[in-house]
Amino acid sequence: MSSSQKDRGVLLHAKHAFMPNTLGYCGPDERDIIVRHLEGSMGGEDLESMLKRFEAAYPFLRLIGRTTGRDPFDFAVPEAYWIGNGLLEKVDVPDFRDFSRMDLPGRDEREVDRVFKALGSKARPHHTFYVMSTYATASVRDGPSLRNDSGDRVVKAMDSCRVSWGEVTRIGKDKLQVEYSPLTMEEGRLSLGKPKSKSVSYNSRVNPFGNVKLGDPVSIHWDYACDVLTPRQVRNITKYTLLDIQSVNRLLSKRDR
Amino acid sequence: MCITRVGRVEVVAGGKARVAFFDGRTLDGVDVSVVNARRGAYVEVFGNLALTILGQAEAKRRKEAWETIKKVTAQDPLVR
Repeated sequence: MSSSQKDRGVLLHAKHAFMPNTLGYCGPDERDIIVRHLEGSMGGEDLESMLKRFEAAYPFLRLIGRTTGRDPFDFAVPEAYWIGNGLLEKVDVPDFRDFSRMDLPGRDEREVDRVFKALGSKARPHHTFYVMSTYATASVRDGPSLRNDSGDRVVKAMDSCRVSWGEVTRIGKDKLQVEYSPLTMEEGRLSLGKPKSKSVSYNSRVNPFGNVKLGDPVSIHWDYACDVLTPRQVRNITKYTLLDIQSVNRLLSKRDR
Repeated sequence: MCITRVGRVEVVAGGKARVAFFDGRTLDGVDVSVVNARRGAYVEVFGNLALTILGQAEAKRRKEAWETIKKVTAQDPLVR
Protein backbone atom coordinates (compact mmCIF):
# COMPACT_ATOMS: atom_id res chain seq x y z
CA MET A 1 0.00 0.00 0.00
CA SER A 2 1.37 3.43 -0.91
CA SER A 3 1.86 6.04 1.81
CA SER A 4 -0.58 8.37 0.07
CA GLN A 5 -3.27 5.67 0.09
CA LYS A 6 -2.68 5.21 3.80
CA ASP A 7 -2.69 8.96 4.44
CA ARG A 8 -6.00 9.25 2.60
CA GLY A 9 -7.41 6.50 4.82
CA VAL A 10 -6.08 8.06 7.99
CA LEU A 11 -7.52 11.44 7.01
CA LEU A 12 -10.94 10.03 6.05
CA HIS A 13 -11.02 8.26 9.39
CA ALA A 14 -9.94 11.37 11.30
CA LYS A 15 -12.55 13.54 9.58
CA HIS A 16 -15.36 11.27 10.72
CA ALA A 17 -13.96 10.63 14.21
CA PHE A 18 -13.33 14.31 14.90
CA MET A 19 -16.68 15.51 16.26
CA PRO A 20 -17.49 12.64 18.65
CA ASN A 21 -13.96 13.01 19.97
CA THR A 22 -14.44 16.75 20.42
CA LEU A 23 -17.69 16.08 22.27
CA GLY A 24 -15.94 13.61 24.59
CA TYR A 25 -17.79 10.50 23.40
CA CYS A 26 -14.82 8.47 22.21
CA GLY A 27 -11.05 8.48 21.98
CA PRO A 28 -8.32 10.33 23.86
CA ASP A 29 -8.65 13.99 24.74
CA GLU A 30 -6.23 15.12 22.02
CA ARG A 31 -8.43 16.79 19.42
CA ASP A 32 -5.73 19.34 18.56
CA ILE A 33 -3.73 16.56 16.90
CA ILE A 34 -6.67 15.78 14.61
CA VAL A 35 -7.24 19.45 13.79
CA ARG A 36 -3.58 20.06 12.98
CA HIS A 37 -3.38 17.09 10.63
CA LEU A 38 -6.71 17.72 8.95
CA GLU A 39 -5.92 21.37 8.33
CA GLY A 40 -2.52 20.37 6.94
CA SER A 41 -4.01 17.48 4.89
CA MET A 42 -1.29 15.19 6.18
CA GLY A 43 -1.16 11.87 7.95
CA GLY A 44 1.53 11.10 10.48
CA GLU A 45 2.56 8.77 13.27
CA ASP A 46 1.15 10.93 16.06
CA LEU A 47 -2.25 11.05 14.37
CA GLU A 48 -2.25 7.29 13.70
CA SER A 49 -1.21 6.59 17.27
CA MET A 50 -4.00 8.80 18.59
CA LEU A 51 -6.62 7.23 16.30
CA LYS A 52 -5.58 3.75 17.40
CA ARG A 53 -6.72 4.65 20.91
CA PHE A 54 -10.37 5.08 19.91
CA GLU A 55 -11.99 2.27 21.86
CA ALA A 56 -14.55 1.25 19.23
CA ALA A 57 -13.63 2.81 15.90
CA TYR A 58 -10.14 1.40 15.60
CA PRO A 59 -11.14 -2.17 16.56
CA PHE A 60 -13.69 -2.02 13.73
CA LEU A 61 -10.94 -0.99 11.27
CA ARG A 62 -8.76 -3.83 12.50
CA LEU A 63 -11.61 -6.30 12.02
CA ILE A 64 -12.35 -5.16 8.46
CA GLY A 65 -8.64 -4.93 7.64
CA ARG A 66 -7.77 -8.34 9.10
CA THR A 67 -10.57 -10.20 7.37
CA THR A 68 -9.97 -8.55 3.98
CA GLY A 69 -6.17 -8.67 4.04
CA ARG A 70 -5.66 -4.92 4.26
CA ASP A 71 -3.99 -2.45 6.57
CA PRO A 72 -6.57 -0.94 8.98
CA PHE A 73 -5.85 2.51 7.53
CA ASP A 74 -5.96 1.46 3.88
CA PHE A 75 -8.42 3.98 2.40
CA ALA A 76 -11.03 1.31 1.57
CA VAL A 77 -11.17 0.15 5.20
CA PRO A 78 -12.26 3.36 7.01
CA GLU A 79 -14.37 4.14 3.96
CA ALA A 80 -16.18 0.80 4.44
CA TYR A 81 -16.72 1.48 8.11
CA TRP A 82 -17.93 5.09 7.98
CA ILE A 83 -19.56 5.29 4.54
CA GLY A 84 -19.86 1.72 3.26
CA ASN A 85 -18.38 -0.25 0.37
CA GLY A 86 -18.01 -3.83 -0.84
CA LEU A 87 -15.54 -4.77 1.90
CA LEU A 88 -18.48 -5.01 4.30
CA GLU A 89 -19.71 -8.04 2.36
CA LYS A 90 -16.38 -9.80 2.84
CA VAL A 91 -16.29 -9.83 6.64
CA ASP A 92 -17.33 -13.27 7.88
CA VAL A 93 -20.29 -13.31 10.24
CA PRO A 94 -18.57 -15.50 12.88
CA ASP A 95 -15.60 -13.10 12.89
CA PHE A 96 -17.89 -10.13 13.34
CA ARG A 97 -19.89 -11.89 16.06
CA ASP A 98 -16.77 -12.88 18.01
CA PHE A 99 -15.36 -9.39 17.59
CA SER A 100 -18.59 -7.83 18.88
CA ARG A 101 -18.55 -10.07 21.95
CA MET A 102 -14.87 -9.85 22.77
CA ASP A 103 -13.38 -6.65 21.37
CA LEU A 104 -15.96 -3.96 21.94
CA PRO A 105 -15.79 -2.52 25.42
CA GLY A 106 -19.14 -2.01 27.06
CA ARG A 107 -21.25 -4.26 24.86
CA ASP A 108 -23.47 -6.70 26.69
CA GLU A 109 -22.70 -10.16 25.28
CA ARG A 110 -26.34 -11.21 25.57
CA GLU A 111 -27.39 -8.28 23.39
CA VAL A 112 -24.72 -9.21 20.86
CA ASP A 113 -25.93 -12.80 20.76
CA ARG A 114 -29.51 -11.64 20.21
CA VAL A 115 -28.43 -9.42 17.32
CA PHE A 116 -26.54 -12.17 15.51
CA LYS A 117 -29.18 -14.79 16.17
CA ALA A 118 -31.81 -12.51 14.66
CA LEU A 119 -29.79 -11.16 11.73
CA GLY A 120 -26.96 -13.48 10.75
CA SER A 121 -25.22 -12.01 7.71
CA LYS A 122 -27.49 -8.97 7.74
CA ALA A 123 -25.39 -7.65 10.65
CA ARG A 124 -22.58 -5.62 9.09
CA PRO A 125 -19.51 -3.90 10.55
CA HIS A 126 -20.81 -0.54 9.34
CA HIS A 127 -20.84 2.38 11.72
CA THR A 128 -24.52 3.11 11.14
CA PHE A 129 -25.47 -0.49 11.90
CA TYR A 130 -23.37 -0.42 15.08
CA VAL A 131 -25.05 2.79 16.24
CA MET A 132 -28.62 1.86 15.43
CA SER A 133 -28.39 -1.70 16.73
CA THR A 134 -26.84 -0.48 19.98
CA TYR A 135 -29.56 2.09 20.59
CA ALA A 136 -32.32 -0.24 19.46
CA THR A 137 -31.32 -3.24 21.54
CA ALA A 138 -30.57 -1.24 24.68
CA SER A 139 -33.70 0.81 24.35
CA VAL A 140 -36.05 -2.11 24.07
CA ARG A 141 -34.48 -4.15 26.85
CA ASP A 142 -35.39 -2.32 30.02
CA GLY A 143 -34.85 1.26 29.06
CA PRO A 144 -37.03 3.48 26.93
CA SER A 145 -39.18 1.99 24.24
CA LEU A 146 -38.73 3.40 20.78
CA ARG A 147 -42.52 3.57 20.62
CA ASN A 148 -43.14 5.87 23.57
CA ASP A 149 -42.47 9.58 24.10
CA SER A 150 -38.83 9.08 24.93
CA GLY A 151 -38.46 7.20 21.66
CA ASP A 152 -38.24 10.52 19.83
CA ARG A 153 -35.13 11.43 21.78
CA VAL A 154 -33.59 8.02 21.12
CA VAL A 155 -34.26 8.30 17.38
CA LYS A 156 -32.84 11.86 17.37
CA ALA A 157 -29.71 10.60 19.13
CA MET A 158 -29.38 7.77 16.58
CA ASP A 159 -29.74 10.31 13.79
CA SER A 160 -26.91 12.46 15.14
CA CYS A 161 -24.68 9.51 15.89
CA ARG A 162 -25.01 7.72 12.54
CA VAL A 163 -23.09 9.15 9.59
CA SER A 164 -25.73 10.80 7.41
CA TRP A 165 -25.35 12.77 4.22
CA GLY A 166 -26.89 15.83 2.69
CA GLU A 167 -26.64 18.35 -0.12
CA VAL A 168 -25.16 21.79 0.53
CA THR A 169 -27.74 24.55 0.00
CA ARG A 170 -25.98 27.51 1.65
CA ILE A 171 -22.37 28.20 2.53
CA GLY A 172 -21.40 30.36 5.52
CA LYS A 173 -18.09 31.06 7.21
CA ASP A 174 -18.23 28.10 9.57
CA LYS A 175 -21.73 26.72 8.92
CA LEU A 176 -23.29 24.95 5.98
CA GLN A 177 -26.99 24.62 5.37
CA VAL A 178 -27.72 21.14 4.10
CA GLU A 179 -30.77 19.26 2.96
CA TYR A 180 -30.78 15.73 4.30
CA SER A 181 -33.16 12.89 5.08
CA PRO A 182 -33.53 12.43 8.85
CA LEU A 183 -34.02 9.10 10.53
CA THR A 184 -37.64 8.75 11.61
CA MET A 185 -39.76 6.21 13.42
CA GLU A 186 -43.28 5.44 12.31
CA GLU A 187 -45.37 2.60 13.64
CA GLY A 188 -42.35 1.04 15.25
CA ARG A 189 -40.23 1.03 12.12
CA LEU A 190 -37.23 3.17 11.31
CA SER A 191 -36.97 4.85 7.93
CA LEU A 192 -35.47 7.88 6.24
CA GLY A 193 -37.96 10.73 6.30
CA LYS A 194 -38.69 13.53 3.87
CA PRO A 195 -35.70 15.79 3.20
CA LYS A 196 -35.34 18.69 5.58
CA SER A 197 -32.91 21.53 6.01
CA LYS A 198 -30.47 21.84 8.88
CA SER A 199 -27.35 23.76 9.78
CA VAL A 200 -24.09 21.90 10.34
CA SER A 201 -20.64 23.13 11.27
CA TYR A 202 -17.61 22.69 9.02
CA ASN A 203 -13.98 23.73 8.82
CA SER A 204 -13.08 25.53 5.59
CA ARG A 205 -9.38 24.88 6.27
CA VAL A 206 -9.95 21.14 5.95
CA ASN A 207 -9.61 19.91 2.37
CA PRO A 208 -11.79 19.92 0.25
CA PHE A 209 -14.06 22.32 2.17
CA GLY A 210 -12.09 25.36 0.99
CA ASN A 211 -13.72 24.77 -2.39
CA VAL A 212 -17.09 23.45 -1.26
CA LYS A 213 -19.89 24.31 -3.67
CA LEU A 214 -23.67 24.48 -3.58
CA GLY A 215 -25.06 21.06 -4.42
CA ASP A 216 -22.04 19.16 -3.09
CA PRO A 217 -22.98 16.02 -1.15
CA VAL A 218 -21.34 15.91 2.29
CA SER A 219 -21.14 13.31 5.04
CA ILE A 220 -22.39 14.50 8.44
CA HIS A 221 -21.57 13.23 11.92
CA TRP A 222 -22.91 14.91 15.06
CA ASP A 223 -23.96 17.96 13.00
CA TYR A 224 -20.47 18.37 11.55
CA ALA A 225 -19.75 18.13 7.83
CA CYS A 226 -16.91 15.61 7.64
CA ASP A 227 -16.15 15.22 3.94
CA VAL A 228 -17.38 15.91 0.43
CA LEU A 229 -18.59 12.63 -1.05
CA THR A 230 -18.05 11.26 -4.53
CA PRO A 231 -21.06 9.94 -6.50
CA ARG A 232 -19.86 6.38 -5.75
CA GLN A 233 -19.75 7.16 -2.04
CA VAL A 234 -23.25 8.65 -2.13
CA ARG A 235 -24.54 5.46 -3.74
CA ASN A 236 -22.77 3.37 -1.11
CA ILE A 237 -23.84 5.33 1.95
CA THR A 238 -27.42 5.26 0.67
CA LYS A 239 -27.30 1.54 -0.02
CA TYR A 240 -25.73 0.49 3.28
CA THR A 241 -27.78 2.88 5.40
CA LEU A 242 -30.99 1.46 3.93
CA LEU A 243 -29.74 -2.10 4.50
CA ASP A 244 -28.85 -1.20 8.10
CA ILE A 245 -32.30 0.25 8.67
CA GLN A 246 -33.89 -2.94 7.30
CA SER A 247 -31.75 -5.03 9.62
CA VAL A 248 -32.53 -2.97 12.70
CA ASN A 249 -36.24 -3.03 11.86
CA ARG A 250 -35.97 -6.80 11.79
CA LEU A 251 -34.40 -6.69 15.25
CA LEU A 252 -37.16 -4.45 16.52
CA SER A 253 -39.90 -6.63 15.07
CA LYS A 254 -38.41 -9.74 16.66
CA ARG A 255 -38.37 -7.98 20.01
CA ASP A 256 -42.02 -7.07 19.66
CA ARG A 257 -43.23 -10.65 19.22
CA MET B 1 -17.97 7.31 16.71
CA CYS B 2 -19.42 6.42 19.98
CA ILE B 3 -18.90 3.72 22.45
CA THR B 4 -21.12 2.21 25.11
CA ARG B 5 -19.75 3.35 28.43
CA VAL B 6 -20.90 2.56 31.93
CA GLY B 7 -20.59 5.14 34.69
CA ARG B 8 -22.16 6.59 37.77
CA VAL B 9 -24.36 9.65 37.84
CA GLU B 10 -22.70 12.35 39.95
CA VAL B 11 -25.02 15.31 39.55
CA VAL B 12 -28.42 15.71 37.86
CA ALA B 13 -30.15 18.96 36.93
CA GLY B 14 -33.03 19.34 34.50
CA GLY B 15 -32.62 15.87 33.03
CA LYS B 16 -28.92 16.40 32.27
CA ALA B 17 -26.18 14.79 34.32
CA ARG B 18 -22.49 14.61 34.91
CA VAL B 19 -21.45 10.97 34.64
CA ALA B 20 -18.15 9.56 35.91
CA PHE B 21 -17.19 6.63 33.69
CA PHE B 22 -15.22 3.57 34.65
CA ASP B 23 -12.43 4.62 32.32
CA GLY B 24 -11.74 7.60 34.57
CA ARG B 25 -13.30 10.23 32.33
CA THR B 26 -16.33 12.34 33.09
CA LEU B 27 -18.92 13.79 30.72
CA ASP B 28 -21.29 16.69 31.38
CA GLY B 29 -24.65 17.11 29.71
CA VAL B 30 -25.61 13.44 29.49
CA ASP B 31 -29.36 13.17 28.89
CA VAL B 32 -30.62 10.92 31.69
CA SER B 33 -34.25 11.97 31.39
CA VAL B 34 -35.16 9.05 29.15
CA VAL B 35 -34.36 6.54 31.90
CA ASN B 36 -35.03 8.96 34.77
CA ALA B 37 -31.69 8.22 36.41
CA ARG B 38 -30.91 9.81 39.75
CA ARG B 39 -27.68 10.69 41.53
CA GLY B 40 -25.66 7.57 42.34
CA ALA B 41 -27.29 5.40 39.65
CA TYR B 42 -25.16 3.32 37.28
CA VAL B 43 -26.05 4.07 33.70
CA GLU B 44 -25.14 2.76 30.27
CA VAL B 45 -24.41 5.74 28.01
CA PHE B 46 -24.04 5.82 24.23
CA GLY B 47 -23.09 9.19 22.81
CA ASN B 48 -24.79 11.68 25.09
CA LEU B 49 -27.81 9.58 26.01
CA ALA B 50 -28.24 7.27 28.99
CA LEU B 51 -30.06 4.22 27.63
CA THR B 52 -30.28 1.90 30.59
CA ILE B 53 -29.95 1.93 34.35
CA LEU B 54 -27.79 -0.94 35.57
CA GLY B 55 -27.86 -2.67 38.93
CA GLN B 56 -24.69 -2.63 41.01
CA ALA B 57 -23.79 -6.25 40.23
CA GLU B 58 -24.22 -5.76 36.47
CA ALA B 59 -22.24 -2.50 36.61
CA LYS B 60 -19.41 -4.32 38.41
CA ARG B 61 -19.44 -7.10 35.82
CA ARG B 62 -19.29 -4.58 32.97
CA LYS B 63 -16.44 -2.73 34.68
CA GLU B 64 -14.44 -5.92 34.96
CA ALA B 65 -15.11 -6.75 31.31
CA TRP B 66 -13.97 -3.26 30.30
CA GLU B 67 -10.74 -3.61 32.28
CA THR B 68 -10.01 -7.00 30.72
CA ILE B 69 -10.43 -5.64 27.21
CA LYS B 70 -8.27 -2.61 27.97
CA LYS B 71 -5.55 -4.87 29.37
CA VAL B 72 -5.57 -7.16 26.35
CA THR B 73 -5.64 -4.18 23.97
CA ALA B 74 -2.68 -2.55 25.71
CA GLN B 75 -0.62 -5.66 24.99
CA ASP B 76 -1.56 -5.73 21.33
CA PRO B 77 1.32 -4.59 19.11
CA LEU B 78 -1.14 -3.26 16.51
CA VAL B 79 -2.46 -0.76 19.04
CA ARG B 80 0.72 0.34 20.77
